[in-house]
Amino acid sequence: MKNKVLFGLATLAIVAMLSSCGKVPQAEIDATNAAIAAAQAAEANVYLPAEFTALQDSMNAITAAVEVQKGKLFKKFGTVKEQLATTLAQANQVAANVAAKKEEVKKEADTILNGIKSVVAENAKLVVKLPRGKEGAAVIEAIKADMATVDGSVAEAQGMFDKGAFMDALNKAKAAQEKATAINTEIKEVLTKARIRF
Amino acid sequence: MGKYRKHILFISLLTLLITFAGVLIFYPVPTPPESAVRYARMALSSARKNNADLYAENLYYDAKIYYDSAMKAWQRENMKFIYRRNFDSVLKYADLTMKKAYLSIQASQSNISDLRINLSQKLSALKEIVHEISRRFEDYPLDAEIRDRISKGGFLLEEGAIAYRIGDYLKADSKIRESEHLLASSYEYAHTHLRNYFRLYPQWKIWIDSTITVSDSTNDYSIIIDKYSRKLIVYNDGKKFREYSAELSQNWVGDKRVRGDKATPEGMYKITRKFRSDSTKYYKALLLNYPNEEDSANFERAKARGALPQSAKIGGMIEIHGHGGKGIDWTEGCIALTNNDMDNLFNIVKVGTPVTIVGSMQSLRQILRN
Repeated sequence: MKNKVLFGLATLAIVAMLSSCGKVPQAEIDATNAAIAAAQAAEANVYLPAEFTALQDSMNAITAAVEVQKGKLFKKFGTVKEQLATTLAQANQVAANVAAKKEEVKKEADTILNGIKSVVAENAKLVVKLPRGKEGAAVIEAIKADMATVDGSVAEAQGMFDKGAFMDALNKAKAAQEKATAINTEIKEVLTKARIRF
Repeated sequence: MGKYRKHILFISLLTLLITFAGVLIFYPVPTPPESAVRYARMALSSARKNNADLYAENLYYDAKIYYDSAMKAWQRENMKFIYRRNFDSVLKYADLTMKKAYLSIQASQSNISDLRINLSQKLSALKEIVHEISRRFEDYPLDAEIRDRISKGGFLLEEGAIAYRIGDYLKADSKIRESEHLLASSYEYAHTHLRNYFRLYPQWKIWIDSTITVSDSTNDYSIIIDKYSRKLIVYNDGKKFREYSAELSQNWVGDKRVRGDKATPEGMYKITRKFRSDSTKYYKALLLNYPNEEDSANFERAKARGALPQSAKIGGMIEIHGHGGKGIDWTEGCIALTNNDMDNLFNIVKVGTPVTIVGSMQSLRQILRN
C-alpha cells in the first residue's frame, strides 16, 4: 500500500515537472522584451548601436528557439529560459551603459559649449581691434557674418543640449568649435601681422 | 464463448493501439526549417551590421518583412496538429529573407562606397568654392544676406566634413547638400554681380587708353583711379609714375547715380580746384568736375524714364582727399589717400590734370586668371 502511494506521488511529481518545463516562459519573454524596450527608450540605439543590435539579435534567436520547442511533442524551455535570463541581464547592462555613455557625451558637449563661449567672447573683443587692413570692411563683415553663424549654431547646440539630445548637441558644438577657433586664428593672425597687441 | 469473444476484442484493440502507435512513431513528422530560419536571421543581422537599414533601406526592410513573415508562418503552423503542419511557406520566407538580406548587404556596401567617393569629391569642390569666394569676394561689397548665406554654407560644410570623418555619410550628405545649395547660389550671385560690374570694361579701356595718351602727348601728369584694385595711379609722359592705395565709398561697385548713394563715380574728369589744409576738413583735397556733361545727361535720361525719382539730385563735390589709410571704404563718394600720399600727389598735379575713374584697369578674365 505504501509503495503504491509513493509510486503515485512520484508519477504526479514527474507529470508536474514535465508540464512546468513544457510551458512557454511568457513572463520571462515579456520581462526581456520590456528590458530591451527600456534600453531603446534610453536611446541605446543612438549611443550604443552595436550593443543594442546584439540585444535584438539575441531576442530574435530566442523567439526562434521558442518556436522550435513549441513544435515539439515534449517541450523543454530550460535552455530558452537561460538565454532569456542572459539577454535580460545584458539588456539591463546596456541600459546602464547607455546612461554612462550619455553622461560622457553630455560632459563632452558641455565642455565644448563652454569652451566655444569663451572663444566667441574673445573673438568679439578682438574683432573691434582689427586694423581694417587693405581689404577693408568687407573682410570684417565676412568675419562678423561667420561669428553670427557660430553664435546661431552655439545657440542651436545649447537648445539640443537642454532638450537632452546630447549626441546632436555634441556634433553641432564640434562644428561650431572648429569654426570659432578658425575665426580666432584668422583674427589673431591679422592682429599679429599688423603688430597690434591683443 | 463469451470469454473467447472478449479475448478477440482485447487482441483487436491491442492491435489497433499498436498500429496507431506505430503510425504515430513512424509517420514522418514535418520538421520546421530551423537552420534555414537561423541562416536567415544571421543574414539579417549581418545586413544590419553592414548598415543596410540605412544605406539600402528598401532591400533591408523587405528582408525584415520576409523574416517576420517566416516567423509568423512558423507560429501559425505550430498551432496545427503535429502531422498537419507544413513549413513550406516558412522555408520560402526564410530563403527570401536571405536573398534580400544579402542583396541589401551588397547594395549597402556599394552605396556607402559610392557615397563616400561622391561626398569626398563634393567636399573638395565646395572647399574650393569657399576658397574662391574668399579670394575673389573678400573685399567685394556683397549684400549682408549673401554674406550670411556664404557663412552658413561654410558652417554646414564644416558639419558635413565632421559627419564624413566619423562615417555618418547620410548626415554628411544632407549637410553637404544644404551647404552646396547655399554656397553655389551665393557664388553664382556674386559672380554674376561681378560680371555685371565688368560689363563696362570696354568703355573703361577706352578711357584708360585715352588718359595715358593725353599724358604722353602733353608730357604731363594724368591720374587713373582703379576702383577694383583700390589704386590711384599717376602717369607722366604716358608712363606709370606713381601708385597709391586708395579708399573709396562704401558702395563703390557701379557708377554713381544720385546724390547720397555713397558711390564713387566712373568717368573722365579733371581737377577743378586744389584745397590746402586750411580750406578742407580732409587734410588736402583735389576737387573733380563731377558731374561732367555725360554724367548730367545720364542722370536726366534716368529721371526721364522713371529710373530715378523726379526729386532726385545728381550730387557733386567729388574729391581726392586725405585722411585715408583707415583700411575701409568709408567716403561718401570721394577717393581718400593717406596724408603723406596726398602731400606727394598734391605737389605734382595742378588744376586741369585729367583724372579718370574706372571700375578696373584689368578685364575680369585677367583678374580671374591672376
